[in-house]
Amino acid sequence: MQDLLAANDRVAVHNREHFDEHGVLAINLMSSPGAGKTALLEATIATLRDRYRIAVIEGDLETDNDAVRIRALGVPALQITTGTACHLDAQLVHRALHDLPLSGLDLLFIENVGNLVCPASFDLGQHRNVTLLSVTEGDDKPEKYPVMFRASDLVVLSKADLLGVLDDFDPERAAASLRALGRDTPLIQTAARRVPALAPWLNWLEEQLAERRAVVPAELA
Amino acid sequence: MHELSVCQALLRQVTDIAMDRGAGVVEHITIEAGPLSGIEPDLLARAFGILRAGSRATAQALLSIESPAVIIRCTGCSMESPTTPNRLVCPLCGEFRTRVVAGDELRLRRVELRMPESPDRRTVCAKPVVAASKPTSLEKDWNNSAAETR
Repeated sequence: MQDLLAANDRVAVHNREHFDEHGVLAINLMSSPGAGKTALLEATIATLRDRYRIAVIEGDLETDNDAVRIRALGVPALQITTGTACHLDAQLVHRALHDLPLSGLDLLFIENVGNLVCPASFDLGQHRNVTLLSVTEGDDKPEKYPVMFRASDLVVLSKADLLGVLDDFDPERAAASLRALGRDTPLIQTAARRVPALAPWLNWLEEQLAERRAVVPAELA
Repeated sequence: MHELSVCQALLRQVTDIAMDRGAGVVEHITIEAGPLSGIEPDLLARAFGILRAGSRATAQALLSIESPAVIIRCTGCSMESPTTPNRLVCPLCGEFRTRVVAGDELRLRRVELRMPESPDRRTVCAKPVVAASKPTSLEKDWNNSAAETR
């Protein structure tokens, strides 16, 4: 019996080979629309761009607004406009890679289309899946979207600086909702507009980069 | 509505199989889409009803969608338990590190073809398992039981 997404998965494996050849860590960022993926990327790039060479693939139904925001920080950003498609797939990312030189890069962020359902089903060739859950959403989101949250290697509670003024989002409940999915996925808090609040996220990124460097040849890293 | 993309992938796979076997007509396709596969069977069935017309071989094909129940195996007590898509903690010992052993499948089970030389006879073929390497876990979501479309 054959996996229905076998064709996508073959291209994803191929993408991952490209990333590995160039010693690039590829991170697939997913969330509902407006959870703060681009804001988190902006803050991350502003903090890390002197130490790491970063590029971004932006997936959106329409507009290249997010790519423009990223480019304003002096980092290459390639826009994939999906039209009516609610997710990126491995083939779209593969095509984007033809226009995005990987050599010299350390870190590639793929900002998926804002959607907590469809992107979860498509492997893009990334090394890690990161899902943002903003505290202005419900703390039971993991249980509502089990497929997305089970596919996550890290869950980021974004806009956590608003927790003080919100009385209906309990981080503990969000953690319990995530654990109910049978995974010990780490959950961290960030606030893109408060640089000190980025520390847990930046530490996690540095850990993943160190892990990549341990597996790819030194001359590439 | 990624069911459209999944349905396109399904029809490509099925027409490839039909061509490989020299069959002109696909009569019946059976797939498995578990509650944790990320696929809504009703939406997939609807997409199939539209997209099957894209090729003469599949224009009259039937689609059956089977949905195996979610079963987890506990990494602590090793017991297997049936459960729901968002309650994947071991109901026996409370351990939350569990493995999904059924309910996340999204695969082609069976294709029934009609061969040109014997228009009345059905040939049933099952495609061998092709393992897709997936270093990072990418599983899926959904809802209820079987859906059929003609």
